[in-house]
Amino acid sequence: MTDPLALDPVLPLTERSALPFNDEQLDHDERYRHFEEHVTGGGKVESTDWMPDEYRTAVLRFVEMHANSELMGVLPEREWIMRAPTLRRKLALTAKVQDEVGHAQLLYRVAEDLGKPREAMIQDLLAGKTKFHNVFHYPTKSWADIGIIAWLVDAAAIVAQQALRDSSYAPYARTMKKICWEESVHIMHGRDVVLTMATGTADQRASIQEALDRWWGPLMQMHGPRSDRAKDRDLHWRIKAKTSEELRQEFLGIYVPRIREIGLTLPDPDLALDPATGVWGYGEPDWNELRTVVTNHGPKSQERLDFRRANWDATQWVRDAILSAPRAAVA
Amino acid sequence: MTDDGGTEPLAMDFEGAGDGRERALALLLLSMADDEFVIGFSDSEWTGIGPILEEDVAISSLAQDELGHAQALYGLLADGVADDRDADTWAYDRPPEGYLHARLLDHHRGDWAATIARRYLYDTADSTRLEAVAGTSYQPLRELVAKIRREERYHLMHVQTWIERLADAGGESRARLIAALTTMGPDAGTVLAPLPGETALVRHGLVTEPFQTMDERWRDGVGVTFRRLGLAELPATADPASARSGHSNAFRALHAEFTMVRLSEVGATW
Repeated sequence: MTDPLALDPVLPLTERSALPFNDEQLDHDERYRHFEEHVTGGGKVESTDWMPDEYRTAVLRFVEMHANSELMGVLPEREWIMRAPTLRRKLALTAKVQDEVGHAQLLYRVAEDLGKPREAMIQDLLAGKTKFHNVFHYPTKSWADIGIIAWLVDAAAIVAQQALRDSSYAPYARTMKKICWEESVHIMHGRDVVLTMATGTADQRASIQEALDRWWGPLMQMHGPRSDRAKDRDLHWRIKAKTSEELRQEFLGIYVPRIREIGLTLPDPDLALDPATGVWGYGEPDWNELRTVVTNHGPKSQERLDFRRANWDATQWVRDAILSAPRAAVA
Repeated sequence: MTDDGGTEPLAMDFEGAGDGRERALALLLLSMADDEFVIGFSDSEWTGIGPILEEDVAISSLAQDELGHAQALYGLLADGVADDRDADTWAYDRPPEGYLHARLLDHHRGDWAATIARRYLYDTADSTRLEAVAGTSYQPLRELVAKIRREERYHLMHVQTWIERLADAGGESRARLIAALTTMGPDAGTVLAPLPGETALVRHGLVTEPFQTMDERWRDGVGVTFRRLGLAELPATADPASARSGHSNAFRALHAEFTMVRLSEVGATW
């Protein structure tokens, strides 16, 4: 499914060449200054524009990690495609995981245009040289996890992703429009799984609560520790628009009331909205756990990477076969 | 039930009462639904680990199409039998030996060559079967098959491209394809093996030709492709009398997996 908004036309070449940082007659520092002025003033950058190495590297690193996360993020849910308890759930989960694979493909293409081939990005991921998001390093233990992941992990992700629709790097911003549209469907699927179990039998309800208790810590860590807005280069270049704390507050503001509304409890006694400031207080997330997990020392990090490596190796012959020139037709 | 597709309940007389029309129709629907259900599962095992990202997305779409067809076919069966079993009950709540899918689909997922070999053999046979059901006298099935055939056309194009590419690439690719076809070849014809009640199916116009005729037409078509690719001719169907029974351990393992959550709390809503 394609969101028509994702198909906004890019600016024609003539308009791009009118931008001063694209002027080859200027020296590097002057181009850099014009580029910085353009971007910090809300201007967009296309893949064919001149850009400072610092910007190119920062966008590439950001998009590559996002692509890696989509690709690794399919593994925890994929295990449950075969176990989905009804035809409708099986179809919805297959479609959701398929969407994530599709997002990985779109994002690797965006990253490829910045100069790093897809093969190199996958090799770096498999070698543990690049990272993927913390939530994909944890096990899925029950069907309830499938509901919690699709509802709340995707919700926490979409809060961040919606802000990326305004990214200064236009190809990324356009891709995020399509991705956000699909993610919003995943959230509906997840909420439906959670609601069905929360209003089901006592065991189903207990299972959903147990899954929520287990995932809450990683969810609170997901956007990262508070950071200084002034020192964040990704914010400076407007690759992203919001700080980790702004994203976490937004997530809490929307989802805590929804979680409580269906009678589930959250395992944080300090979680409360300060009515005077409108700011959510919460128990300090375990940042050591976050650091441990994202450096591939999480409970499932190595198993998932091993699984990816084994599958990549087992299908190498297919890639070799289709990338080779076809043999002359057999008589 | 009337021949123009009325809504009277199907008498599920699997023991074979009356002139056998209802039983034969139910067996036809169930065999087609189970085929689509099981191949849909095999294909969805690739979701997330396909050989390239673009193909990963493609095979997931195929899996969803097949499962969607299974859902619709189980739905027709549920409407016809009208004994309070819904499509999910038909799909999930039978013991492994109660499934009527063809033995071709009993092989475990295997490597990518096995997946392409299975898809090729199944899609071409299924497409021949759909041609013979397109003119069925049972209107709800006729309408559904028209829709299914529109999608299956793309499945055929997809798998045709793959089998040609794997065969033409030579080396490991061709060797793997030949190994898969050798393993599955004797079971390929199980998709078109005559169903019990075939006489009633033909007499009542539920299918427009006998399975033997479908099988011949299918083998002719596959033969043309295989000769062009230098592949050995398909062998005769092994043990056609048990084409859809006595399922493999691979299917029993799959069955244990797909009923795991559902059986964890019988009767719950999921």
